[in-house]
Amino acid sequence: MGFITPIFDALWSEFVLWSALVGGITFGWLYHHSFFYRSEEGVDNNVDNLQVGVFPVHYDNLKLEVTWTLVPFILIVYLAFISWAPLDNVWTSADSDGDYGEECTTQTSSNLVWDEGEGKYTAECYHVIELVGFQWDWDFDCFDLAADICEETMVTIEGNDKKNINLKQGEVYLVEMYSQDVTHSPWFVSMGNKEDIQPSQTTNLWLPVDEVENFLMLCAEYCGDNHAYMIAGVSVHA
Amino acid sequence: MEKKTLVTRSMVALILISIAMVVSPAVNSLPGGIGGDSIQTAGCNCHGGADAGVTPSITGLPSEYNASEVYTITISMTGGPAESGVNAGGFNLWSSDGEFFPQDATVESRAPSEVTHTEAGNDYRTWSVEWVAPSHGRDVDFILHTNAVNGDGTQSDADDWNRLDLSVAGSLGPGLESADPFKVLGTLIIISIVMLAATLLYGFYRTSPETFDWEHLAPYVVEWLTSTDHKKIGTLYFVASLFFLGLGGIMAMLIRIQLATPGNDFISQDQYNQFFTLHGTVMIFLAAMPLINGFANWIVPLQIGAPDLALPRLNALSFWLQPFAAILIFTGVFTSQGADTGWTGYAPYVVSGGAHHGVTMWVAGQIMLVASSTLTGINFLTTIAVMRADGMGWMQMPLFTWSVLVANLCLFLSIPAFGVGLIQVYLDRTISTAFYDIAAGGDPLLWSHLFWYFGHPEVYVVIIPAFGVISEVIATSARRSIFGYRSMIYAMAGIAVVSFIVYGHHMFTSGMSPTLRFVTMLTTMLVAVPTGIKIFNWLKTMHGGSLVYRTHTLWALGFLVTFTLGGISGMFFPAVAMDVHLHETYFVIAHFHYVLVGGTLFGFFSAIYYWYPKMTGRMMDERLGTLHFLTAFISYNGIFWPMHRLGVVGMARRQHTYFISTDDFTALPEWAADWNMFISVCAFLFFFSNFFLVANLVLTLARGEKAPADPWGGWSFEWMTSSPPPTPSFDWHNRPVLKDANEHIANEPSRFGAWFNRLMVPEDEEEVSH
Repeated sequence: MGFITPIFDALWSEFVLWSALVGGITFGWLYHHSFFYRSEEGVDNNVDNLQVGVFPVHYDNLKLEVTWTLVPFILIVYLAFISWAPLDNVWTSADSDGDYGEECTTQTSSNLVWDEGEGKYTAECYHVIELVGFQWDWDFDCFDLAADICEETMVTIEGNDKKNINLKQGEVYLVEMYSQDVTHSPWFVSMGNKEDIQPSQTTNLWLPVDEVENFLMLCAEYCGDNHAYMIAGVSVHA
Repeated sequence: MEKKTLVTRSMVALILISIAMVVSPAVNSLPGGIGGDSIQTAGCNCHGGADAGVTPSITGLPSEYNASEVYTITISMTGGPAESGVNAGGFNLWSSDGEFFPQDATVESRAPSEVTHTEAGNDYRTWSVEWVAPSHGRDVDFILHTNAVNGDGTQSDADDWNRLDLSVAGSLGPGLESADPFKVLGTLIIISIVMLAATLLYGFYRTSPETFDWEHLAPYVVEWLTSTDHKKIGTLYFVASLFFLGLGGIMAMLIRIQLATPGNDFISQDQYNQFFTLHGTVMIFLAAMPLINGFANWIVPLQIGAPDLALPRLNALSFWLQPFAAILIFTGVFTSQGADTGWTGYAPYVVSGGAHHGVTMWVAGQIMLVASSTLTGINFLTTIAVMRADGMGWMQMPLFTWSVLVANLCLFLSIPAFGVGLIQVYLDRTISTAFYDIAAGGDPLLWSHLFWYFGHPEVYVVIIPAFGVISEVIATSARRSIFGYRSMIYAMAGIAVVSFIVYGHHMFTSGMSPTLRFVTMLTTMLVAVPTGIKIFNWLKTMHGGSLVYRTHTLWALGFLVTFTLGGISGMFFPAVAMDVHLHETYFVIAHFHYVLVGGTLFGFFSAIYYWYPKMTGRMMDERLGTLHFLTAFISYNGIFWPMHRLGVVGMARRQHTYFISTDDFTALPEWAADWNMFISVCAFLFFFSNFFLVANLVLTLARGEKAPADPWGGWSFEWMTSSPPPTPSFDWHNRPVLKDANEHIANEPSRFGAWFNRLMVPEDEEEVSH
């Protein structure tokens, strides 16, 4: 398993690398100047002859200022470019042009594959399931899918009876979601994926399931009194 | 129409409006029902009245429990209407400690220490549950409510309920009584007010011990309450902001106690929700913005050589709206019905019946703050545009004044959207309009757009003035001109412009159009460019300088560290693929506290140590100041740095507890609990480290070394006046004239400056007479 999900693992690593580089340069520079240019005890070396009521002499350097405008700009363009790639996978269309093909017939497998070269998941088809949120619980609906591919059950989590959905490794699910009351946000933590649900609209979320694991699904958008216990189980089997 | 009739009708109308305003929120605020916390006080009042004929009972509890032992309890009742076979009855069992575990589908947990019947359990009058005794050995109280129903499917008067109170002894006796967190908060507020009043009285006494009597105190107090002098109003803002900073900090401590261990029940979910809502609202609107306004009031007129602000009475009105707004914002807390929506107040929850009644007054208070901020914006824009001293063109203004100008322009253009949204919510909650009522076609995303159109620029409104402070402090401390004065101004302006086209990154998971999400991903990343320019310019300012280490210098250098870290962590959010995981986690909490505490607060801590001698005529104690910096800087990083990792591994914000992985389910790793304890300890250290600042302010006000006019060697006009400055700050007829060390370009306004001058000041009104 990657850091969170392979979709943005490479992105995360690259952002951390550039952050360390920018932070290293900035803090190295700050550390050096803080000590190297400190004043001697009791000496007031008024370098630019600052005087009350006199606007100080300009201290600038156009080349330097343009440099540290353009270099970060180029870095930003690069980071924006690499951030673009996973979006295709996150927002891929639900038809034959998309990464996950069209909806599977009931018993067909998605055959999910992680394409290391492209940095994205692909599959032959996907399954549609429904998720409904309400204060402070969830309801899953697997429609007519075989129990091996999707099944709703109940589990006990910290003494509370909660909904659980059983999913199958190697399958892709398109979750159609809406809320019955206020804004919620199902967060499939181990899959690094969430999307808000509103009472007035249906939102969608792709779940490419490739790890066998039982984990909690939390509500990430504050929804009132029992928000912290608006949880469900997600069980992925081989 | 006769004048008398008109007056009478006006009076009647006013009285009716007043009655309507008082009654309208009140009709919604009657407690009742069986749910939530109210059952402990109101009982099962949806099932007829309490009847001595129904007798609840519990068996299986010992007279004295053994620590951590498991007991199987049977709950039952006798009496009441005859059973019909269905819907026979129900119960609610609460304990002051320990944990309940349901044994079958007839019972469910409402919280670790509260159980009730399920829908299936409604067909019985006997239930079983396991209770795990606490480990501390103190006495435990139980409250049992049972209701017997006649099975007709309605909550009729024929149904009866009753209550049973009992206590189980522990080996160590009763222990300390736990206090209601609201009472703790209320007590701390009262103590803070008393301490503040005592400090002010002491300040008055020190001013003139021989005239310390009511005859002299009364006009002294009246002078503070009615003053229109920018310095006095600045001080009022400053004192109010420190008070609310402390109050917001107390709420943060209550939050951190709750989160110190997983599953903690120090405060209930309901109380936690109110505390984090008020913590956010207080820190942004009642602490950060007044702190900025305090310094803007004090320093901007002095820096531009003006005797006062352009509209002094409007300035007083801006300030005095704030205490009353604060009272409205806190109204609900005093009845345990404080706002519980988060400072973002997302619709439709904010207009739903589930949100507390205090939300209405919380919204009303914020509407007053919008009015206050708008008036403040008008005042500063006007003052800076028309009251600069001779010789001070736009491109000769001190950078702190520039930062206040840019921040107020930003605020002025964004806050109307927030005001409109608040008024819509207020109307939805009071007279049942339907702006956010889904059933009537309302749009919840409209609130998100209105809020974040204001909310994101608001972050820059509070950070840009800190940029101004750091520019002043770094340059003066390094004994240099600021590097790249012009690019500093263009960078601030660039940040302000970009801030209006980036807010969509707060809504990446909202279901908003993917096209709009992609566009705001690009624009959000752009903010890093002007911000980077400022950081590199500050570093270059130190190059070749002669850095004098004072407390304000330490805070400015600390700011460079923490704000840079906050800026770097901010770069992870525009990448949508990462944001869908990191959104609403502790990674976000860490990021914005690195920006708002490590940026705004550290910047203004620097401002306090830098300008306090000017404001009071007393030097602050450098040893106490250094101690404050070291303890606060270390403990602050101990709080927020680990939160990045907690967010990445899945700790969600705005939740009063968190789940650790078990054999059955993966959640947070075990070390997350250890880090939360560490964070809570650091939070207390950070909170108490700020008492060094309070002590420094109070002690040096009384006994500090006298400050010269220009203790740090600054160049701008505030250092020309005495410390403290006279009133008016400059003579209206003998104002200072700014000289320019760059003689060749002095008094030549740039193209932009000339255009802005023409825009703001008509030629025939350039002469301001007094």
